[in-house]
Amino acid sequence: MEFLIRRLAFYLVAFVAAACFNFALPRMMPGDPVDIMFAQADASLPPEAQAALRATFGFVDGPLPVQFLAYLKSVFTWDLGISVRFYPLPVADVLARAAGWTLFLVGSSTVIAFAIGSALGIAAAWWRGGLFDSVISPLSLVLQAIPAVVVSLVALFAFAVVLRWLPPGYAWAPALDPGWSLAWFGSVLTHAVLPLSTLVLVQIGGYLVTIRNTLINLLGEDYIMLGRAKGLSELRLMLAYGARNAILPLLSSFAITIGMVMGGSLITEIVFNYPGLGNTLYQGIIARDYPLIQGQLLIMTLCVLAANFVADLANYLLDPRLRTE
Amino acid sequence: MNTVLLTLVRNPKAAFGLGVVVVFIVLAIAAPLLTAYEPTARVGGPHQPPSWEHWLGTTRIGRDVWAQLVYGARSSLLIGFGTGFLIAALGVAVGITAGYLGGWVDEGLTFLTNVVLVIPNLPLLLVLAAFLGQAGPWAIALIIGLTSWAWGARVIRAQTLALRRREFIQAAELLGEPRWRVIAVELLPNLISIVGINFIGSVIYTVITQATLEFLGLGDPLAVSWGTMLYNAQTSSALIVGAWWEVFAPCAAVAVFGGALALINFAIDEIANPRLRTVPRAPRPWAGKPIDTKAGAEA
Repeated sequence: MEFLIRRLAFYLVAFVAAACFNFALPRMMPGDPVDIMFAQADASLPPEAQAALRATFGFVDGPLPVQFLAYLKSVFTWDLGISVRFYPLPVADVLARAAGWTLFLVGSSTVIAFAIGSALGIAAAWWRGGLFDSVISPLSLVLQAIPAVVVSLVALFAFAVVLRWLPPGYAWAPALDPGWSLAWFGSVLTHAVLPLSTLVLVQIGGYLVTIRNTLINLLGEDYIMLGRAKGLSELRLMLAYGARNAILPLLSSFAITIGMVMGGSLITEIVFNYPGLGNTLYQGIIARDYPLIQGQLLIMTLCVLAANFVADLANYLLDPRLRTE
Repeated sequence: MNTVLLTLVRNPKAAFGLGVVVVFIVLAIAAPLLTAYEPTARVGGPHQPPSWEHWLGTTRIGRDVWAQLVYGARSSLLIGFGTGFLIAALGVAVGITAGYLGGWVDEGLTFLTNVVLVIPNLPLLLVLAAFLGQAGPWAIALIIGLTSWAWGARVIRAQTLALRRREFIQAAELLGEPRWRVIAVELLPNLISIVGINFIGSVIYTVITQATLEFLGLGDPLAVSWGTMLYNAQTSSALIVGAWWEVFAPCAAVAVFGGALALINFAIDEIANPRLRTVPRAPRPWAGKPIDTKAGAEA
């Protein structure tokens, strides 16, 4: 229990660190921070809205600590200001609407890549040095070095522009009304195929190589040899003895890569014009919508911290050493 | 150092990866000799497919794609290696300091590392780049470097901790060697494979991230690099109008360069960690008999 509480406390500090960054950045820029942040807004925002924005970002009268407290208060009440690009919608609403799509992409692609990657990685480690291993392991590492931009652009061109097998963009066919109908679900699925496959392809190599290398190290341990000497079946040795112990490092690598995957998802969404956080952010960047861009950092930090906590929980359940302190 | 290089070249994956990287470096250096065109000059009609005059076709505003590719390699490679070095150096500095000194220095640095590690990088970079406006390549390099050192620091700290209590380090300390010497002469050589992997991984990461930021329009649109090529292709909807060459040229460059570096990393890992070595070692000149591959695989 103490382990989980310590982790939670750490996540709180990390979140405040991200918020501090948002607070400090406009104040470190040369010139008047308010002018920089709202340069775009001045043209289109009425004075009341501007005053509200200023209050949100702690631009109140008073010394820095007072400003900082005012800012922290608005962050923890999830008042992220008003979007300039999507005026008059508040940033929190714009992001909440988009976050579902991103979580769907990131979540399902992670599960798929984790399943396929670890299965292939176990096989590669078991028959290490064989034909399968010597092809798939370097290949997956090379795959990992190819950015999501490249994979998604190539996939878009091949399957949506040339072959026309799959739709080139958006999350569902525009003719359909979003609702709980079978046609709409089908449309959502076909629209998700390309972005999902892109994200799976980008992630799979990391899982494969991590579990392969961990497992190869483990297979040299005495307890594996003991299992073999006892006459256990190869399958049992491979899964219950080897793979089971190789999963733990995979979990901690998951916690670290989740931030990268979120980044990959942002790019993939932009290429496929998918209505998630990435696309919203892209429009925010073009319009220099600073409240939106800053809110994005907070919400994505929050998502990554939540994913880390899930990994901690899984670790806690799988690793008895963490429970006996 | 020579033996390190020699071991690398003997590994077929590393040799292939190194070869590709060298080709890219030569392309970048010899760019003016390899093309008659200026990368930013209008030298042909819009969106012409690859032909004898324009090996990789032209962009929408009639620039030569091959010229952009080889000149763009300069920016992408220079930023990639420069920032990779910065990331690796910061990782080594923080990791060794934390692991070697221990105590409250370690507590503080480890905490900082973990916080930096858990804040997602790309959104952080986007916020920074957006505030900087149209960031030049070196501004991008600097912000990538300053936000991406944490992973390396963590790995290097762990390895330093493992080495810290080994006899040869303790012996050097008991002999009264100065701290910098223990670190530079005793510790660092034993970390070389991890530092190498970290450096190459950081180069890959930088090339990817630079291309991504520029693709999003956060770079300097006048600079010539693989990322701005992608950005220009995207804004001129090159894919939709079927001008695949404008998109595929920078895509292929990023992918092949990154892939080659990844192969080198795979090989370093194999060489440094004997258990991962699934290929037989290169035959020694004094050993006259052929190598038993079966035995090599089981070792």
